[in-house]
Amino acid sequence: MAKKTYDLLFKLLLIGDSGVGKTCILFRFSDNHFTTTFISTIGIDFKIKTVELRGKKIKLQIWDTAGQERFHTITTSYYRGAMGIMLVYDITNEKTFDDIVKWLRNIDEHANEDVEKMILGNKCDMEDKRVVSKERGEAIAREHGIRFMETSAKSNTNIERAFSELAEAILDKSAGREAEADLARIAVERRPSRARGRARRPACCS
Amino acid sequence: MSLHKARIKLFEGILEKDVIDIEQLQKLAFNGVPEEKGLRSLVWKILLHYIPTEKNSWDTTLCKKRQLYQQFIDEIIVSPGGPTDHPLNMSPDSSWSTYFKDNEVLLQIDKDVRRLCPDISFFQSATEFPCSEIVNSNGVKRLHKRVEQSVLKYSTLERRGLGVAKLSNEIRRTDISSGDYTPLNEGCEAHWEVVERMLFLYAKLNPGQGYVQGMNEIIGPIYHTFACDANMEFRKYAESDCFFCFTNLMSEIRDFFIRTLDETESGINYMMGKLSDCLKKQDKAVWDRLKKQELRPQYYSFRWLTLLLSQEFSLPDVERIWDSLFADARRFDFLIFICCAMILLVRDNILNGDFASNVKLLQNFPPMDVTLILNKALEISYT
Repeated sequence: MAKKTYDLLFKLLLIGDSGVGKTCILFRFSDNHFTTTFISTIGIDFKIKTVELRGKKIKLQIWDTAGQERFHTITTSYYRGAMGIMLVYDITNEKTFDDIVKWLRNIDEHANEDVEKMILGNKCDMEDKRVVSKERGEAIAREHGIRFMETSAKSNTNIERAFSELAEAILDKSAGREAEADLARIAVERRPSRARGRARRPACCS
Repeated sequence: MSLHKARIKLFEGILEKDVIDIEQLQKLAFNGVPEEKGLRSLVWKILLHYIPTEKNSWDTTLCKKRQLYQQFIDEIIVSPGGPTDHPLNMSPDSSWSTYFKDNEVLLQIDKDVRRLCPDISFFQSATEFPCSEIVNSNGVKRLHKRVEQSVLKYSTLERRGLGVAKLSNEIRRTDISSGDYTPLNEGCEAHWEVVERMLFLYAKLNPGQGYVQGMNEIIGPIYHTFACDANMEFRKYAESDCFFCFTNLMSEIRDFFIRTLDETESGINYMMGKLSDCLKKQDKAVWDRLKKQELRPQYYSFRWLTLLLSQEFSLPDVERIWDSLFADARRFDFLIFICCAMILLVRDNILNGDFASNVKLLQNFPPMDVTLILNKALEISYT
């Protein structure tokens, strides 16, 4: 078996309307470059980047999705396995912001209940074309209890930060889960008669 | 005589007959159509059933179709003077509501045509044959102008002590999101603008389907081939000819683009299943490996099949592959074989790679001699 080069594997997903810059954000994060010459994403794309957080090597497996409605059946099948979802809109395009609500509904329908979410208002370098104020972005995020950041893949603003904050939130949560799993195991051991049916399945499988 | 020249002669031999033997043409085209003398452009028009096999009806067919296309442009783009009823008319079929809906479609098309084949300069360059009613309209009739207007301009009020306010109205005209795909000046238009028009007309004329992302990648290579035709008479009508060839091709593959048909026998899931079955039969070890890694066919083959491989290879290679696809009498069986061949050709990497490297490999297929792939596909088709 190949040597494990990481301690944890986090699966992340980028969603949002077409043209908001999902692919550019991911490209900036994984290759530290920016280019406007991207073809549109059809179906789903994939990148890997390993980051170090609190002394742990974390491999981020990031899925980049197509924005248009047609691709929803294919992309929603990835929601289930995702531990973190970045929901991107374009601060120079009102409709992409309005659609955030629609995307949030999608997450509710298809993703795990405890998935970590983050809203990103991208293209914040284009101040002269801004139509969605930062306050509105913050407000909608607050309303749904989600993290929020304005980013620019072009000027490399907050890209790294966004990914590490999301990863950190997942790390916090999984640490909490591990502790819970430990407690559950103790509980199972204490009540062998009731748990017998499921006792063969280890409660702490990772 | 070189082999290549001999091939050209063979094509010319078939094409000069009064009635073209379509089977013979398919057979020959299957192994690639030379670009010289506009051969590819002409052969595709025949293989896509745009021009008939009876040569004496070519002129009338072309004339009729090209007139029809001009009519589409007039009726759908040039003549409408914009919405006529009141903007607050709430009825769903009010002209304003249609106008806004159209603009939504147009916005999506506009985003995509400005991202078409960015590695070559062709689509950003000017066409020799712009649509004169549109390019000489002071920008009024240009489609991308319609969606540009939907961005509200605003000004900033700057206060400078003692109540002196300065209203700055600077709006920089540098649209970075479009890169080099900037609209050309009055009287000219870029090839991407032509593609935008064709896709918009297609969406308007096929309201049940509309525009789906990826259609730009289907129309792109056809238009490129037609607009580079050595024959000036054909080059001049690249737009209208391409529109109908695209429409014909779409009639065969449109189900790939329709979500509600995913599960039907013409839908994309069925095609992905066919590819998976083909791979299982050809190379059980690789199939097992991908299955075990839970590397599902959707991760790579959804795009391969939907776009007829147009995003996987460089444009000249795509055009070569499409020669075979269009010549395939049982379209698109050969597409499945090509996709299967691609996987088989990287089988050793797959057997040694982990999940991540295998997804990457299949999503970014390594540069490879395309004839190698096609020969392998042919081999598969015989088994």
